[in-house]
Amino acid sequence: MDIKAYIESGVIESYVLGIADAKEAAALEQMIAQYPEIKQAVSAFEASLEKTALENAVQAPAQVKEKLFAGLQNEFATEVPVAKFVQMQPRSTNWLKYVAAASVILLISSSALNVYYFNQFNEVSNKYAALLNDKNGLEASLNIYKTKTLDIYNSMQLMSDPTMIKVSMPGVKGKEENLATVFWDKKTKDVYLLANKLPQTPSDKQYQLWAIVDGKPVDAGLLDNCNGLCKLKNIPNAQMFAITLEKKGGSAIPTKEQMYVAGAVSAS
Amino acid sequence: MEAVTKYSETELVMLLKQRQQTAFSYLYENYSGALYGIILNIISDNELANDVLQEVFVKVWRQISTYDETKGRLYTWMLNIARNASIDTLRSKGFQNNKQNRELTENVYESAGSTQMQVDKIGLRKIVHQLKEEHKVLIELSYFQGFTQEEISKMLDLPLGTVKTRLRTALIQLRQFIK
Repeated sequence: MDIKAYIESGVIESYVLGIADAKEAAALEQMIAQYPEIKQAVSAFEASLEKTALENAVQAPAQVKEKLFAGLQNEFATEVPVAKFVQMQPRSTNWLKYVAAASVILLISSSALNVYYFNQFNEVSNKYAALLNDKNGLEASLNIYKTKTLDIYNSMQLMSDPTMIKVSMPGVKGKEENLATVFWDKKTKDVYLLANKLPQTPSDKQYQLWAIVDGKPVDAGLLDNCNGLCKLKNIPNAQMFAITLEKKGGSAIPTKEQMYVAGAVSAS
Repeated sequence: MEAVTKYSETELVMLLKQRQQTAFSYLYENYSGALYGIILNIISDNELANDVLQEVFVKVWRQISTYDETKGRLYTWMLNIARNASIDTLRSKGFQNNKQNRELTENVYESAGSTQMQVDKIGLRKIVHQLKEEHKVLIELSYFQGFTQEEISKMLDLPLGTVKTRLRTALIQLRQFIK
Protein backbone atom coordinates (compact mmCIF):
# COMPACT_ATOMS: atom_id res chain seq x y z
CA MET A 1 0.00 0.00 0.00
CA ASP A 2 1.38 3.35 -1.03
CA ILE A 3 0.65 5.46 2.02
CA LYS A 4 2.00 8.62 0.46
CA ALA A 5 -0.23 8.26 -2.59
CA TYR A 6 -3.21 7.56 -0.33
CA ILE A 7 -2.52 10.64 1.76
CA GLU A 8 -2.31 12.76 -1.39
CA SER A 9 -5.44 11.27 -2.98
CA GLY A 10 -7.80 13.88 -1.47
CA VAL A 11 -9.54 11.28 0.70
CA ILE A 12 -8.34 12.95 3.93
CA GLU A 13 -9.68 16.37 2.92
CA SER A 14 -12.96 14.81 1.86
CA TYR A 15 -13.20 13.11 5.27
CA VAL A 16 -12.28 16.13 7.38
CA LEU A 17 -14.61 18.47 5.49
CA GLY A 18 -17.47 16.00 5.90
CA ILE A 19 -17.94 15.45 2.16
CA ALA A 20 -17.00 11.75 2.26
CA ASP A 21 -19.91 9.37 2.36
CA ALA A 22 -20.32 6.89 5.22
CA LYS A 23 -18.48 4.09 3.37
CA GLU A 24 -15.50 6.29 2.54
CA ALA A 25 -15.39 7.68 6.09
CA ALA A 26 -15.41 4.19 7.61
CA ALA A 27 -12.59 3.08 5.29
CA LEU A 28 -10.48 6.09 6.25
CA GLU A 29 -11.09 5.60 9.99
CA GLN A 30 -9.76 2.08 9.60
CA MET A 31 -6.68 3.45 7.82
CA ILE A 32 -6.15 6.05 10.57
CA ALA A 33 -6.19 3.31 13.20
CA GLN A 34 -3.72 1.28 11.15
CA TYR A 35 -1.26 3.90 9.87
CA PRO A 36 0.12 6.61 12.14
CA GLU A 37 1.24 8.58 9.06
CA ILE A 38 -2.37 8.82 7.90
CA LYS A 39 -3.51 9.84 11.35
CA GLN A 40 -0.82 12.51 11.34
CA ALA A 41 -1.89 13.71 7.90
CA VAL A 42 -5.49 14.01 9.06
CA SER A 43 -4.39 16.02 12.12
CA ALA A 44 -2.22 18.24 9.95
CA PHE A 45 -5.08 19.04 7.57
CA GLU A 46 -7.40 19.72 10.50
CA ALA A 47 -4.85 22.11 11.99
CA SER A 48 -4.30 23.98 8.73
CA LEU A 49 -8.05 24.18 8.13
CA GLU A 50 -8.52 25.65 11.59
CA LYS A 51 -5.64 28.06 11.08
CA THR A 52 -7.06 29.25 7.75
CA ALA A 53 -10.52 29.61 9.25
CA LEU A 54 -9.21 31.66 12.16
CA GLU A 55 -7.24 33.86 9.78
CA ASN A 56 -10.36 34.38 7.69
CA ALA A 57 -12.65 34.90 10.68
CA VAL A 58 -15.55 37.32 10.32
CA GLN A 59 -16.55 39.22 13.45
CA ALA A 60 -20.13 38.33 14.34
CA PRO A 61 -22.45 41.11 15.62
CA ALA A 62 -22.29 41.56 19.40
CA GLN A 63 -25.99 40.88 19.88
CA VAL A 64 -25.46 37.25 18.77
CA LYS A 65 -23.30 36.59 21.84
CA GLU A 66 -25.69 38.50 24.09
CA LYS A 67 -28.69 36.51 22.88
CA LEU A 68 -26.74 33.25 23.04
CA PHE A 69 -25.60 33.74 26.64
CA ALA A 70 -28.95 35.09 27.77
CA GLY A 71 -30.58 31.95 26.35
CA LEU A 72 -28.16 29.61 28.07
CA GLN A 73 -28.07 31.47 31.39
CA ASN A 74 -29.77 28.63 33.28
CA GLU A 75 -27.45 25.99 31.86
CA PHE A 76 -24.13 27.32 33.13
CA ALA A 77 -22.59 25.85 36.25
CA THR A 78 -23.57 28.42 38.86
CA GLU A 79 -20.97 29.24 41.46
CA VAL A 80 -22.87 31.87 43.45
CA PRO A 81 -25.89 29.72 44.33
CA VAL A 82 -23.47 26.92 45.23
CA ALA A 83 -21.84 29.26 47.77
CA LYS A 84 -25.28 30.22 49.06
CA PHE A 85 -26.22 26.59 49.29
CA VAL A 86 -23.04 25.82 51.22
CA GLN A 87 -23.95 28.66 53.56
CA MET A 88 -27.45 27.39 54.09
CA GLN A 89 -26.52 23.77 54.45
CA PRO A 90 -25.00 23.95 57.96
CA ARG A 91 -28.07 25.84 59.12
CA SER A 92 -30.40 23.14 57.90
CA THR A 93 -28.16 20.34 59.19
CA ASN A 94 -27.90 22.10 62.54
CA TRP A 95 -31.65 22.31 62.70
CA LEU A 96 -31.90 18.63 61.88
CA LYS A 97 -29.18 17.84 64.38
CA TYR A 98 -31.15 19.59 67.10
CA VAL A 99 -34.31 17.79 66.14
CA ALA A 100 -32.46 14.46 66.08
CA ALA A 101 -30.80 15.19 69.42
CA ALA A 102 -34.12 16.24 70.93
CA SER A 103 -35.74 13.05 69.60
CA VAL A 104 -33.01 10.89 71.10
CA ILE A 105 -33.30 12.70 74.45
CA LEU A 106 -37.07 12.32 74.40
CA LEU A 107 -36.76 8.65 73.54
CA ILE A 108 -34.26 8.00 76.35
CA SER A 109 -36.34 10.03 78.82
CA SER A 110 -39.48 8.24 77.80
CA SER A 111 -37.78 4.82 78.08
CA ALA A 112 -36.39 5.74 81.51
CA LEU A 113 -39.85 6.89 82.62
CA ASN A 114 -41.33 3.66 81.29
CA VAL A 115 -38.88 1.62 83.37
CA TYR A 116 -39.47 3.86 86.39
CA TYR A 117 -43.25 3.65 86.11
CA PHE A 118 -43.14 -0.08 85.49
CA ASN A 119 -41.08 -0.57 88.65
CA GLN A 120 -43.46 1.71 90.54
CA PHE A 121 -46.40 -0.28 89.21
CA ASN A 122 -44.83 -3.59 90.28
CA GLU A 123 -44.06 -2.22 93.73
CA VAL A 124 -47.55 -0.85 94.19
CA SER A 125 -49.07 -4.11 92.91
CA ASN A 126 -47.07 -6.10 95.42
CA LYS A 127 -47.98 -3.68 98.21
CA TYR A 128 -51.62 -3.87 97.20
CA ALA A 129 -51.54 -7.69 97.28
CA ALA A 130 -49.90 -7.57 100.71
CA LEU A 131 -52.50 -5.10 101.98
CA LEU A 132 -55.32 -7.23 100.58
CA ASN A 133 -53.80 -10.20 102.42
CA ASP A 134 -53.50 -8.19 105.63
CA LYS A 135 -57.06 -6.98 105.29
CA ASN A 136 -58.33 -10.55 104.83
CA GLY A 137 -56.29 -11.65 107.84
CA LEU A 138 -57.64 -8.80 109.93
CA GLU A 139 -61.19 -9.53 108.82
CA ALA A 140 -60.74 -13.19 109.80
CA SER A 141 -59.27 -12.14 113.18
CA LEU A 142 -62.09 -9.69 113.64
CA ASN A 143 -64.62 -12.43 113.04
CA ILE A 144 -62.84 -14.63 115.57
CA TYR A 145 -62.91 -11.78 118.11
CA LYS A 146 -66.53 -11.06 117.29
CA THR A 147 -67.40 -14.71 117.98
CA LYS A 148 -65.31 -14.71 121.15
CA THR A 149 -66.85 -11.45 122.30
CA LEU A 150 -70.33 -12.84 121.70
CA ASP A 151 -69.43 -16.05 123.57
CA ILE A 152 -68.03 -14.03 126.46
CA TYR A 153 -71.11 -11.81 126.48
CA ASN A 154 -73.33 -14.89 126.59
CA SER A 155 -71.12 -16.36 129.33
CA MET A 156 -71.47 -13.12 131.32
CA GLN A 157 -75.23 -13.31 130.93
CA LEU A 158 -75.18 -16.88 132.22
CA MET A 159 -72.81 -16.12 135.11
CA SER A 160 -74.83 -13.16 136.22
CA ASP A 161 -78.05 -15.16 136.14
CA PRO A 162 -79.41 -15.40 139.77
CA THR A 163 -80.34 -19.07 139.30
CA MET A 164 -76.66 -19.96 138.63
CA ILE A 165 -74.64 -21.63 141.39
CA LYS A 166 -70.94 -20.87 141.25
CA VAL A 167 -68.62 -23.70 142.28
CA SER A 168 -65.02 -22.59 142.55
CA MET A 169 -62.45 -25.40 142.04
CA PRO A 170 -58.94 -24.45 143.17
CA GLY A 171 -55.90 -26.61 142.42
CA VAL A 172 -55.40 -29.75 144.42
CA LYS A 173 -52.30 -30.36 146.45
CA GLY A 174 -49.22 -30.03 144.25
CA LYS A 175 -51.27 -28.20 141.56
CA GLU A 176 -52.31 -25.16 143.62
CA GLU A 177 -51.69 -22.67 140.81
CA ASN A 178 -54.63 -24.13 138.80
CA LEU A 179 -58.19 -22.90 138.90
CA ALA A 180 -61.53 -23.70 137.24
CA THR A 181 -65.10 -22.65 137.96
CA VAL A 182 -68.37 -24.55 137.47
CA PHE A 183 -71.61 -22.64 136.91
CA TRP A 184 -74.59 -24.86 137.60
CA ASP A 185 -78.11 -23.83 136.68
CA LYS A 186 -80.38 -24.72 139.53
CA LYS A 187 -83.46 -24.79 137.33
CA THR A 188 -82.25 -26.64 134.21
CA LYS A 189 -79.41 -28.48 135.99
CA ASP A 190 -77.06 -27.65 133.06
CA VAL A 191 -73.39 -27.46 133.98
CA TYR A 192 -71.06 -24.82 132.49
CA LEU A 193 -67.31 -24.77 133.02
CA LEU A 194 -64.89 -21.87 132.99
CA ALA A 195 -61.29 -23.02 132.72
CA ASN A 196 -59.67 -20.12 134.54
CA LYS A 197 -56.22 -21.59 134.67
CA LEU A 198 -55.37 -25.10 133.42
CA PRO A 199 -52.16 -26.28 131.76
CA GLN A 200 -52.18 -26.95 128.00
CA THR A 201 -53.19 -30.56 127.36
CA PRO A 202 -51.00 -32.95 125.36
CA SER A 203 -52.60 -33.78 122.01
CA ASP A 204 -53.67 -37.28 123.14
CA LYS A 205 -55.22 -36.08 126.41
CA GLN A 206 -58.34 -34.16 127.38
CA TYR A 207 -59.76 -32.67 130.62
CA GLN A 208 -62.82 -34.37 131.98
CA LEU A 209 -65.26 -32.93 134.53
CA TRP A 210 -66.63 -35.20 137.21
CA ALA A 211 -69.63 -34.65 139.47
CA ILE A 212 -69.30 -36.35 142.81
CA VAL A 213 -72.76 -37.65 143.61
CA ASP A 214 -73.04 -39.35 147.00
CA GLY A 215 -69.31 -40.11 147.01
CA LYS A 216 -69.25 -41.54 143.49
CA PRO A 217 -67.81 -39.81 140.40
CA VAL A 218 -70.22 -39.24 137.53
CA ASP A 219 -69.01 -38.12 134.09
CA ALA A 220 -70.01 -34.51 133.57
CA GLY A 221 -68.48 -34.03 130.14
CA LEU A 222 -65.23 -33.38 128.25
CA LEU A 223 -63.62 -30.01 127.99
CA ASP A 224 -63.30 -28.89 124.37
CA ASN A 225 -61.79 -25.73 122.99
CA CYS A 226 -64.50 -23.25 123.74
CA ASN A 227 -64.67 -19.57 124.51
CA GLY A 228 -65.66 -18.53 127.97
CA LEU A 229 -68.14 -20.91 129.42
CA CYS A 230 -68.26 -24.43 128.01
CA LYS A 231 -71.59 -26.07 128.24
CA LEU A 232 -71.17 -29.62 129.54
CA LYS A 233 -73.63 -32.29 130.70
CA ASN A 234 -76.84 -31.99 132.68
CA ILE A 235 -76.18 -33.00 136.30
CA PRO A 236 -79.33 -33.21 138.46
CA ASN A 237 -77.51 -33.64 141.75
CA ALA A 238 -73.93 -33.28 143.04
CA GLN A 239 -71.96 -32.35 146.14
CA MET A 240 -68.60 -31.78 144.48
CA PHE A 241 -66.99 -31.20 141.14
CA ALA A 242 -63.47 -32.19 140.03
CA ILE A 243 -61.37 -32.21 136.82
CA THR A 244 -58.91 -34.93 135.84
CA LEU A 245 -56.70 -35.28 132.78
CA GLU A 246 -57.84 -38.32 130.83
CA LYS A 247 -57.11 -39.97 127.53
CA LYS A 248 -58.81 -38.35 124.54
CA GLY A 249 -62.50 -39.16 124.42
CA GLY A 250 -62.71 -39.50 128.22
CA SER A 251 -62.77 -42.35 130.70
CA ALA A 252 -65.49 -44.18 132.64
CA ILE A 253 -63.61 -43.90 135.90
CA PRO A 254 -61.49 -40.88 136.79
CA THR A 255 -57.75 -41.27 137.14
CA LYS A 256 -57.39 -39.86 140.66
CA GLU A 257 -53.62 -39.27 140.32
CA GLN A 258 -54.35 -36.95 137.48
CA MET A 259 -56.77 -34.69 139.34
CA TYR A 260 -56.07 -31.01 138.81
CA VAL A 261 -58.79 -29.08 140.49
CA ALA A 262 -61.75 -29.87 142.76
CA GLY A 263 -64.38 -27.88 144.65
CA ALA A 264 -67.44 -28.56 146.80
CA VAL A 265 -70.87 -27.19 146.05
CA SER A 266 -71.70 -24.78 148.83
CA ALA A 267 -75.08 -25.21 150.39
CA SER A 268 -77.44 -22.38 149.53
CA MET B 1 -4.16 32.77 17.88
CA GLU B 2 -2.60 34.66 20.83
CA ALA B 3 -5.52 33.97 23.19
CA VAL B 4 -5.25 30.19 22.58
CA THR B 5 -2.44 30.13 25.13
CA LYS B 6 -5.06 30.64 27.81
CA TYR B 7 -6.53 27.12 27.57
CA SER B 8 -5.25 24.00 25.89
CA GLU B 9 -7.91 22.27 23.80
CA THR B 10 -8.10 19.44 26.37
CA GLU B 11 -8.59 21.89 29.23
CA LEU B 12 -11.20 23.81 27.29
CA VAL B 13 -13.21 20.67 26.50
CA MET B 14 -12.99 19.52 30.12
CA LEU B 15 -14.22 22.89 31.41
CA LEU B 16 -17.02 22.93 28.84
CA LYS B 17 -18.12 19.49 29.98
CA GLN B 18 -18.16 20.94 33.53
CA ARG B 19 -20.62 23.59 32.25
CA GLN B 20 -18.25 26.51 32.91
CA GLN B 21 -19.49 29.79 31.48
CA THR B 22 -15.97 31.27 31.33
CA ALA B 23 -14.83 28.39 29.12
CA PHE B 24 -17.83 28.79 26.86
CA SER B 25 -17.22 32.52 26.62
CA TYR B 26 -13.59 31.80 25.71
CA LEU B 27 -14.74 29.30 23.07
CA TYR B 28 -17.10 31.88 21.59
CA GLU B 29 -14.48 34.62 21.52
CA ASN B 30 -11.98 32.34 19.79
CA TYR B 31 -14.14 30.46 17.33
CA SER B 32 -17.28 32.47 16.58
CA GLY B 33 -15.49 34.46 13.86
CA ALA B 34 -14.19 31.35 12.11
CA LEU B 35 -17.58 29.64 12.30
CA TYR B 36 -19.45 32.79 11.31
CA GLY B 37 -17.22 32.88 8.24
CA ILE B 38 -18.25 29.39 7.14
CA ILE B 39 -21.92 30.12 7.91
CA LEU B 40 -21.78 33.25 5.74
CA ASN B 41 -20.19 31.16 3.01
CA ILE B 42 -23.37 29.11 2.90
CA ILE B 43 -26.06 31.61 3.95
CA SER B 44 -25.98 34.98 2.31
CA ASP B 45 -28.67 36.51 4.52
CA ASN B 46 -26.88 38.12 7.49
CA GLU B 47 -29.88 37.95 9.84
CA LEU B 48 -30.33 34.28 9.07
CA ALA B 49 -26.58 33.71 9.48
CA ASN B 50 -26.71 35.34 12.93
CA ASP B 51 -29.49 32.97 13.96
CA VAL B 52 -27.51 30.01 12.65
CA LEU B 53 -24.38 31.10 14.53
CA GLN B 54 -26.38 31.26 17.75
CA GLU B 55 -27.96 27.87 17.00
CA VAL B 56 -24.51 26.37 16.31
CA PHE B 57 -23.11 27.52 19.67
CA VAL B 58 -26.20 26.25 21.48
CA LYS B 59 -25.64 22.86 19.82
CA VAL B 60 -21.92 22.91 20.70
CA TRP B 61 -22.80 23.74 24.31
CA ARG B 62 -25.48 21.09 24.64
CA GLN B 63 -23.69 18.35 22.70
CA ILE B 64 -20.17 18.83 24.04
CA SER B 65 -20.48 15.54 25.95
CA THR B 66 -20.72 13.71 22.61
CA TYR B 67 -17.47 15.25 21.34
CA ASP B 68 -14.71 12.62 21.17
CA GLU B 69 -11.21 14.12 21.20
CA THR B 70 -9.68 10.99 19.68
CA LYS B 71 -11.77 11.44 16.51
CA GLY B 72 -10.48 14.89 15.69
CA ARG B 73 -10.00 18.50 16.69
CA LEU B 74 -12.66 20.51 18.47
CA TYR B 75 -12.74 23.01 15.62
CA THR B 76 -13.34 20.25 13.05
CA TRP B 77 -16.27 19.01 15.14
CA MET B 78 -17.71 22.52 15.46
CA LEU B 79 -17.11 23.24 11.78
CA ASN B 80 -19.18 20.21 10.83
CA ILE B 81 -21.98 21.35 13.16
CA ALA B 82 -21.87 24.82 11.60
CA ARG B 83 -21.84 23.48 8.05
CA ASN B 84 -24.70 21.06 8.66
CA ALA B 85 -26.78 23.69 10.47
CA SER B 86 -26.20 26.16 7.64
CA ILE B 87 -27.13 23.68 4.94
CA ASP B 88 -30.26 22.64 6.89
CA THR B 89 -31.28 26.30 7.21
CA LEU B 90 -30.55 26.93 3.57
CA ARG B 91 -32.79 24.03 2.58
CA SER B 92 -35.62 24.93 4.98
CA LYS B 93 -35.77 28.60 4.02
CA GLY B 94 -37.35 28.53 0.60
CA PHE B 95 -34.77 26.39 -1.14
CA GLN B 96 -36.60 23.13 -0.64
CA ASN B 97 -38.08 22.72 -4.06
CA ASN B 98 -36.06 21.33 -6.85
CA LYS B 99 -36.58 24.20 -9.22
CA GLN B 100 -35.09 26.69 -6.85
CA ASN B 101 -32.25 24.34 -6.05
CA ARG B 102 -31.49 24.02 -9.72
CA GLU B 103 -31.60 27.77 -10.17
CA LEU B 104 -29.21 28.20 -7.28
CA THR B 105 -26.98 25.51 -8.69
CA GLU B 106 -26.94 27.31 -12.01
CA ASN B 107 -26.10 30.51 -10.19
CA VAL B 108 -23.27 28.82 -8.43
CA TYR B 109 -22.13 27.22 -11.58
CA GLU B 110 -22.13 30.52 -13.38
CA SER B 111 -20.69 32.33 -10.33
CA ALA B 112 -23.14 35.10 -11.05
CA GLY B 113 -25.18 37.47 -8.86
CA SER B 114 -24.15 40.14 -6.36
CA THR B 115 -24.91 38.05 -3.24
CA GLN B 116 -22.79 35.23 -4.55
CA MET B 117 -19.96 37.65 -5.17
CA GLN B 118 -20.12 38.89 -1.63
CA VAL B 119 -20.12 35.37 -0.20
CA ASP B 120 -17.13 34.52 -2.36
CA LYS B 121 -15.06 37.25 -0.78
CA ILE B 122 -14.81 35.68 2.67
CA GLY B 123 -13.59 32.56 4.37
CA LEU B 124 -13.10 29.20 2.75
CA ARG B 125 -15.19 30.14 -0.22
CA LYS B 126 -12.78 32.88 -1.10
CA ILE B 127 -10.11 30.19 -1.38
CA VAL B 128 -12.39 27.86 -3.31
CA HIS B 129 -13.14 30.68 -5.68
CA GLN B 130 -9.52 30.62 -6.78
CA LEU B 131 -9.86 27.04 -8.07
CA LYS B 132 -10.46 26.07 -11.65
CA GLU B 133 -14.12 26.24 -12.63
CA GLU B 134 -14.68 22.47 -12.94
CA HIS B 135 -13.20 21.93 -9.47
CA LYS B 136 -14.88 24.90 -7.89
CA VAL B 137 -18.35 23.68 -8.85
CA LEU B 138 -17.82 20.32 -7.24
CA ILE B 139 -16.73 21.84 -3.92
CA GLU B 140 -19.57 24.34 -4.06
CA LEU B 141 -22.16 21.65 -4.51
CA SER B 142 -20.73 19.10 -2.14
CA TYR B 143 -19.29 21.25 0.60
CA PHE B 144 -21.31 24.46 0.61
CA GLN B 145 -24.63 22.99 -0.46
CA GLY B 146 -24.32 19.50 0.96
CA PHE B 147 -25.27 17.49 -2.09
CA THR B 148 -24.10 13.91 -2.23
CA GLN B 149 -21.80 12.76 -4.99
CA GLU B 150 -24.70 10.81 -6.56
CA GLU B 151 -26.86 13.91 -6.57
CA ILE B 152 -24.07 15.95 -8.15
CA SER B 153 -23.56 13.24 -10.75
CA LYS B 154 -27.22 13.58 -11.79
CA MET B 155 -27.25 17.37 -11.56
CA LEU B 156 -24.19 17.83 -13.74
CA ASP B 157 -24.96 14.81 -15.91
CA LEU B 158 -21.51 13.37 -15.20
CA PRO B 159 -20.60 9.76 -14.37
CA LEU B 160 -20.23 9.18 -10.60
CA GLY B 161 -16.60 8.07 -11.10
CA THR B 162 -15.78 11.36 -12.80
CA VAL B 163 -17.43 13.30 -9.96
CA LYS B 164 -15.38 11.40 -7.38
CA THR B 165 -12.10 11.89 -9.24
CA ARG B 166 -12.71 15.56 -9.94
CA LEU B 167 -13.80 16.24 -6.36
CA ARG B 168 -10.63 14.65 -5.03
CA THR B 169 -8.51 16.64 -7.43
CA ALA B 170 -10.38 19.76 -6.33
CA LEU B 171 -9.67 18.96 -2.68
CA ILE B 172 -5.97 18.36 -3.38
CA GLN B 173 -5.80 21.74 -5.03
CA LEU B 174 -7.77 23.36 -2.20
CA ARG B 175 -5.22 21.94 0.19
CA GLN B 176 -2.44 23.73 -1.61
CA PHE B 177 -4.22 27.03 -0.91
CA ILE B 178 -4.93 26.15 2.70
CA LYS B 179 -1.31 25.22 3.42
